[in-house]
Amino acid sequence: MAVATAERIIEFRDALNEAMSEEMRKDNRVYLLGEEVAEYNGAYKVSKGMLDEFGPRRVIDTPISESGFAGMAIGSAMRGLRPIVEFMSWSFSLVAADPILNNAAKMLYMSGGQFGCPIVFRGNDGAGGQLASTHSWCVESMYANVPGLKMAIPYDAYDAKGLLKTAIQDENPVFFLESERLLSTTGHVPEEEYTIPFGQALTRRSGTDCTIISFGRPLHFCLEAADELAKEGIDCEVIDGRTIRPLDIDSMVASVKKTNACVVVDQSWSFASVGSEIASQIHAYCFDDLDNHVFRVHSDDVPTPYSYNLEQAYLPNSRKICEAVRQATYNA
Amino acid sequence: MPLEITMPRLSDTMEVGTILHWHVKVGDEVSSGDLLADIETDKATMELQSFDDGFVESIAVEVGVPVDVGTLIATLAVEEGEDIATAPASAPTTVEKTPVKPPPPPRATSGGARVSPVARRLAEEHGIDLASVQGSGPSGRVIKRDILQLVAATTETTAAAQTTQSCTTEVVATSAPLSAAQPVKQVQALAPTSPWQQDHTEPLSNMRQIIAKRLVESKQTIPHYQVTMDFDMDPLIEMRKTLNDQLANVGVKLSVNDFLVRCCALAMSTNPAFNASFGGDCILYHGPVNVGIAIALPEERGGGLVVATIRNADQKSLRTISQESAYLSKKARETGLSLEEMGDTTFTISNLGMFGVDNFTAIINPPNSAILAVGAAIEKPVVRGGELAVGREMSATLSLDHRVIDGAMAAMYLKTLKELIENPASLLV
Repeated sequence: MAVATAERIIEFRDALNEAMSEEMRKDNRVYLLGEEVAEYNGAYKVSKGMLDEFGPRRVIDTPISESGFAGMAIGSAMRGLRPIVEFMSWSFSLVAADPILNNAAKMLYMSGGQFGCPIVFRGNDGAGGQLASTHSWCVESMYANVPGLKMAIPYDAYDAKGLLKTAIQDENPVFFLESERLLSTTGHVPEEEYTIPFGQALTRRSGTDCTIISFGRPLHFCLEAADELAKEGIDCEVIDGRTIRPLDIDSMVASVKKTNACVVVDQSWSFASVGSEIASQIHAYCFDDLDNHVFRVHSDDVPTPYSYNLEQAYLPNSRKICEAVRQATYNA
Repeated sequence: MPLEITMPRLSDTMEVGTILHWHVKVGDEVSSGDLLADIETDKATMELQSFDDGFVESIAVEVGVPVDVGTLIATLAVEEGEDIATAPASAPTTVEKTPVKPPPPPRATSGGARVSPVARRLAEEHGIDLASVQGSGPSGRVIKRDILQLVAATTETTAAAQTTQSCTTEVVATSAPLSAAQPVKQVQALAPTSPWQQDHTEPLSNMRQIIAKRLVESKQTIPHYQVTMDFDMDPLIEMRKTLNDQLANVGVKLSVNDFLVRCCALAMSTNPAFNASFGGDCILYHGPVNVGIAIALPEERGGGLVVATIRNADQKSLRTISQESAYLSKKARETGLSLEEMGDTTFTISNLGMFGVDNFTAIINPPNSAILAVGAAIEKPVVRGGELAVGREMSATLSLDHRVIDGAMAAMYLKTLKELIENPASLLV
């Protein structure tokens, strides 16, 4: 970037739109498909205007049949196209688990390198707000368990655009996990072309007393908690992992070596989760640097409640993060 | 599975402990923190507390019987009625003599039972004995904060000590670079920056590596303490002048240091602890009295210092000591000494008097048990026979290994030395 540009504040959803549109302009193999993405401009208006610009051959409305259209897209990716599959919610991807996990993630391996699968699956992940337990899935822990795929979780509009462009350009299947709660948030997105490489965590806040590691929406809870804890004299460092696969464990380790305390905040359930994986790696790499075991904050170990109050209490909220940090730093 | 309670190591030197009193009997319920027994160590009587909840299942050591550190002294059943006989490691009912194999880690039984990994690492880095740290974490876990607070407290003390003792340097023998290291760094930091004042590093010479290793080892493993005494040097200096005047034609030139070598050697032969080494489980008293003299090496030979040996110094005349000393100093500075010429010292003298140093303390040169740091004989107002007069006084400071030599013994040695120095005629016979 040669010139520092003025702030250009746009919504998270528009940043996603720009990423897709720009890549589609550059590369005519890239196309978008999913439920309501074309005529309705997207269930969440992420693909607004894209049908008009790119036409029905590249912005395709599909039936309500995730297994069918995900499988079709994977076939097209194997034959040279670069599809972007929008799941209205990642909760609905469960019916497409076989194609996305068994085909997309394993194709390069099982074909002995003959077929790759450059595909992006994207959509809303996590509790959207009173959508109840079947529509509030956090799929990251379950899917990140599978080798052969990449997974990115953007925190703000800037990262949404930069990470999605990297995802579209990647030669591997990328699971791109957005949050319905963040789509309307706004942030600075520069005019200029940029991408954000995978596997590079970002320190969202520097601190000396405790490292808080998270991804996506819960980072907002983490920063809220860090502000609260700062009033008590606990100085937190908040690390945004940005991508789960690849995982930038080095940056996390470097931070924990500095603070000697760590809390991992993961919106999926705690059992066999991204949070437990990171905690395990921190324990392994930072054993002699830890002043306490790694603490974890997750959604509670129950199906997501429908009730507003219960849902708020269920999430890895600021109150739970504060409690975990206090314990991790012996300030409880 | 019963919990085994073993004789804890309650002090650094403790090898054996004796139960003076059991506060519990078999079948008693105990909670973590309850008093189990009073234990007599080599230093004091200390309390043994329980670290667990349970029931006293057996008592393996009777009151008054000394047992080795690590010996099973009792077992604790975690649940009531647990039968010790069913436990895989069936505990002996009589005193079990554990071989001298590695003693149990102190944390198993002493105060700092739980330590966070980073606290353990920091304690190691700062040389803090974890057994002495009271943990503030859950279940008394020692955490980072506990160590950092200790370090901060220690640093404050050290800083205070440094400011009050800025005139006193602590070096082994005549090693000026060691003592200068700190102040020089500060001066550089304050000086205006110019290209030729930039920081730079120089690799350690072999000698400096050895000095660094040996002195750190000495300072870290030997419990040093110092005792200082002033000496009236007028009689000795006067006699030295007389002798040197008389013997100039035969090439004899006695230095003050030559007199001190003989004084120290004679005092060693009457105070055998000063001719001894700490041997782990014994004290080794040496036969020959070999006095080491620290010799600073010139910059062009890479600096540093060596300790030359005057063997059987208590058997040698001043003239012989002087000749040997002069020969060794010259050889050390010009071509270097052989192992034979440097080895087997049993005591060392480090003299910075010729540089005008009033007094300083030195680091013991292992395996010696003592080193004498000698300052200059300085003209100063002194009281002689109730009258104020001008006299020459010399201050000398002994650094001692407390494992071998206690304070009173050090005082006795200095008293002997004082008698010899202040009545130098006895050195002639």
